Amino acid sequence: MISLRGVTLIYPNGTRALDGVDLEIAKGSFVFLVGHSGTGKSSLLRLLYREQLPSSGEVVVDNIRVDKLKRSRVPALRRNVGVVFQDFKLLAERTVWENVAFALQVTGARTRDVMRQVPRVLDLVGLAHKSRVFPNELSGGEQQRTAIARALVNNPKILLCDEPSGNLDPVNTNEIMDLLHRINLKGTTVVIATHNALVVDRMRRRVIRLEHGKILADEERGFYHVTTTEAGAIDAAAGSATRVNNGLGQSTLFSE
Amino acid sequence: MDWGKVRFFLSEVGNNFTRSIVMQLTAIGTVTIMIVLLGTFLFTQETLGKIGGDIVRQIEISVFLNDKATPADARALTLALRADPQVKTVVYIPKTEGLRQMRELLRGQIDTSLLTINPLPEKLRVQVVDPESVHAVAARIVKKPNVANVEYQRDAVERLLRLSEVMGRIGLGFIVLLVLTAAIIISNTIRLTVYARRREIAIMQLVGASNTYIRLPFICEGFIDGFLGALLALVLLAVGRWQLWPKLLSALPFIPLHDAGIDLRLFALQLLGVGAAVGIVASWISVGRYLRT
Repeated sequence: MISLRGVTLIYPNGTRALDGVDLEIAKGSFVFLVGHSGTGKSSLLRLLYREQLPSSGEVVVDNIRVDKLKRSRVPALRRNVGVVFQDFKLLAERTVWENVAFALQVTGARTRDVMRQVPRVLDLVGLAHKSRVFPNELSGGEQQRTAIARALVNNPKILLCDEPSGNLDPVNTNEIMDLLHRINLKGTTVVIATHNALVVDRMRRRVIRLEHGKILADEERGFYHVTTTEAGAIDAAAGSATRVNNGLGQSTLFSE
Repeated sequence: MDWGKVRFFLSEVGNNFTRSIVMQLTAIGTVTIMIVLLGTFLFTQETLGKIGGDIVRQIEISVFLNDKATPADARALTLALRADPQVKTVVYIPKTEGLRQMRELLRGQIDTSLLTINPLPEKLRVQVVDPESVHAVAARIVKKPNVANVEYQRDAVERLLRLSEVMGRIGLGFIVLLVLTAAIIISNTIRLTVYARRREIAIMQLVGASNTYIRLPFICEGFIDGFLGALLALVLLAVGRWQLWPKLLSALPFIPLHDAGIDLRLFALQLLGVGAAVGIVASWISVGRYLRT
C-alpha cells in the first residue's frame, strides 16, 4: 500500500529531514510513527499526500509513484488519502455538516452522494446529532472527530494523522484513538505520527521510530519508549542528544 | 442537471463576492471609469474619423489643361483618367462652362459684362477612390500630355491624414493604459479574496479538488466585476448619448458631427466584452499565481 525506497528529503535551508528511508506499510495496517519534533515524522507524511517531493528516492502510494506524479494528477491521489491534523483545520463559518460535505462538494460529487455520505460518516464518528453546530461550539475531541469525518467522507484507502491528539485531553484522546481503530477495522490503512506515549503503549501496534531522519526501529507490537540498545543507537546517531532514565529501567530522550 | 451542485457553486461565488465587498465595488468602479473613458474615446474617434473622412472624400484634384488643348483633347484625357482604377469620378468642365460658373460666382460683386474674353483653361475635376492615393494620382496626371497644372488641397489632406494617424496611436496607448489599470485593480481584488479564503483553498487542495474547480469561483468573480463595471458604464454612456449628444450637436452646428453608421448595439456589446475579458484575464492570472506557489 505504501512503500518508500531510499527516500531523502533535504529542505532548501539545508535541513536533512529524511535520510535514506526504506519503509513498507501493508494494506489495512495501523502504524505509529514516533520520534521527537524535527525527526521527520510530519515530513514523511507530507511525502505520502504529495505536499512535499523527496530530494531523492521512490515514494509509492496505492501503486502510484507519488514522486513522479504530474501536478494535474495530485487531486486524484488526495481523494484516496485522507489527512487529519493536530489543529483540525476546520472552517469556522461552516457547520459540522457543511465542513464534511465541503470535501465532497469541491471534488464535484453529486448532491445525491453528498446527502448519502455525510450522514454516514457523521454517524461513524458519533456526531450525527451535532451536524448543525459550528466548530467553535464543539469540544476539541468533537472538532477532531469532525476533521476525521471530513477526511473519511471520500472513502480514502489511507488515513494519515499528524499528531491527532496533540490538542486533546486524555479522555478525548482515547475516544479519537478508538475511532481510528474502528476505522482501521473497516479496512482503511491508518498511519499516525504522534508524541503521545500513553496512546502508543496502550494500543500496542506497529511502531516506526524516526531519529534524525532515519528509521531507528520498526517493531510489530511496539512501545513508545526506546529500549536500552536502541538508545545506544540513537546516541550514536544524535551525538549530543540528551538521554535520561525514565525510571522504568528504559531510556528515553528528552522531548520538549 | 444537478441543482445542488449549481447552488453550492453559486454560494461559493457569492461568498467570495460579499467577503470583500468594498474591494469589489472599487474594482467595479474602476472598470466603469475605464469603459466610460474607452467608450467616449472610441466614439469620439469614430465620429472625428467620419468628419475627417467626409472632408477627405470631398477633396478633389483640379486639372488645368494648357492653351493648346482642344475640347477633344480634354475628352480624351477624361476617358483615359476614368480607366485609372484609383480614380473615382472625372468631370470635364469646358472653358465656356467655367466662365459661366465664374460669372455666377461673381454676380453682383463686379460687372460681369466686362468679362468679354475667356481667360480660363479647359478643366477636369477628379475625385480619387482612396484619399491617401491623391498625391500619387495627381503626380500621374501632371505628366499626361496637354496638362498644364494640377491643384488640390495638398496640405489639408496631409494634415488630416497625419492627424488621424497620430490620434489613432495616442488612442491605442491610452486604451492600453486604461485596460492595464483596470486589470491590475481587479487582479488585486481577487488576490485579496484569495487571501481571505486561503484556509478554504488549502482544504480544497488537501481533499483533492482540482485546480480548475478551485479557480472557477474566482474567475466568475473577476467576470462579474468586469461585466457589472461595463454594464454600469454603458448606462452612463447611454445617458450621455441621449441627453448630452443632442445638446452638443446644437452647440456646435458648424462642425458636421454625426454618428450615423456607428452600430451602437455592436459598440455596446464590444465594450461589455472588453470589461468581462479584462475581469476574467486578471483573475485568472492572480489565482494562477497563488495556486502555483
